[in-house]
Amino acid sequence: MPTDTRRIGGPEESFSPLAYTPTDSTKTLMMSSNGIRNDGRKCEDLRKMFIKTGVVSQARGSAYIEQRETKIICSVYGPREVVRKEEFSMKGQLTCEFKYATFSCSYRRQHQQDSEEKDFSVQLLEALEPAVCLHKFPKAQVNIFVEVLQNDGSALAASITCASMALADAGIEVYDLVIGCSMKIHEDKVLTDPTVNEEYDSQNSKELNHGSITIGFMPSLNQISAITSKGEIQIDFLKRAMTDCVEACQKIYPAMQQTLHTSIKDKLTASER
Amino acid sequence: MSAPRICVPGKHAQIQLIPVIFYSQRICHIENGTTAGNGTYQRNGFIYSSIAGYLKTDKTDDGQVLIEVKRDIEQNVVPSVDAVVTARVTNVNPRFCKCLILSVGKIGLREPFRGQIRKEDVRATEKDKVEMYKSFRPGDIIVARVLSLGDAHSYLLTTAENELGVVMATSEAGANMDPISWCEMKCPKTLAIEHRKVAKVQPKYIQHTDT
Repeated sequence: MPTDTRRIGGPEESFSPLAYTPTDSTKTLMMSSNGIRNDGRKCEDLRKMFIKTGVVSQARGSAYIEQRETKIICSVYGPREVVRKEEFSMKGQLTCEFKYATFSCSYRRQHQQDSEEKDFSVQLLEALEPAVCLHKFPKAQVNIFVEVLQNDGSALAASITCASMALADAGIEVYDLVIGCSMKIHEDKVLTDPTVNEEYDSQNSKELNHGSITIGFMPSLNQISAITSKGEIQIDFLKRAMTDCVEACQKIYPAMQQTLHTSIKDKLTASER
Repeated sequence: MSAPRICVPGKHAQIQLIPVIFYSQRICHIENGTTAGNGTYQRNGFIYSSIAGYLKTDKTDDGQVLIEVKRDIEQNVVPSVDAVVTARVTNVNPRFCKCLILSVGKIGLREPFRGQIRKEDVRATEKDKVEMYKSFRPGDIIVARVLSLGDAHSYLLTTAENELGVVMATSEAGANMDPISWCEMKCPKTLAIEHRKVAKVQPKYIQHTDT
């Protein structure tokens, strides 16, 4: 493996601290018999959520989202000039960069984007692109940067919500907000907003019905802008998970509206002064 | 949902009600006499808002009601065809000059866009006698109109109007020059005369820069 000479590397011989921690027995046992999950939620419950806009002063718009231990910050720049030589297009361009902070996961992430992060960047772009009025800024581009500060599951779903809040904060013209939500399908149960222990892991799945699904939902248009799923899921469960996702998104929508409302109100009163 | 109304007194005297609007909130039916303005889009016979802000209704010149959603904060603009822009000249050569677009209309840009003025677009008459070095110098602040979106690199600008051209220029001695004719400027320090394509600055434009 090539080493980065400009960063301080660890000792030559090292062991992951995870090797010394007792194996997480809860990982296999996802919930108690009465249908309560390890963190005390029911199957259909979302985690408590906190959203704030305008957190990065340098950016045109930014947002921070917290779903218990999942913490994501997103900043939006532009519309700005297209720097790289690209073909002329009358439509604006949207770029997304999704990155886990090096310290965000149980194991250390690299500074460069890995394949999972690149994959998430594309999925994020696909979820947001249908919602943005790209014809409003011809020849220019809008850059979205998403950084996961702490990952406790549903990072992609939370980053879709966060990015759309940041776009709203930036005042980029959009047809609708996009809300992300993710579901875990485990045997005959559909778990809303899974934590990292509950998330789909191909190594740990022996059951026939085992997977996860993430959607991007536009609430006022009542349309799904992106959908992605992995694992082995029976089609009936996939359908059920999708409708559950949409329902969960509609629960998140008022929280986003409230945040936007207070931020606009604050900005208006600030500009009056 | 019924959004609470925020009233902003004084500054927007013509506005009756100022509710905060969210994305994709349905504002009203498209009827005869209503037009969708900035910050809105039309779908299925309704006008929806496309930014979060407050509603502003205005009468246009032809008696239509213009519906806009505005944010009082800085707006997102990109140069569009026919827009009047302010730019700084960065590079001059015999065929064209390059410049950085600093603001579009009244709205300043956070990051500049690149623009270009070709020799034939400098003035409306005697186009073949235009000399670029006698029209612009690097560092000049110019007012120009966007001719077309140009190529992938830069916007095409024109100054072929009396109102367009150099508005601020520094002489070789480093002083701000005063315009003396449509093609000459004078340095107040050395009284030297330099050639420029001088703009006949409009009073309304001076108001823009004051605000």
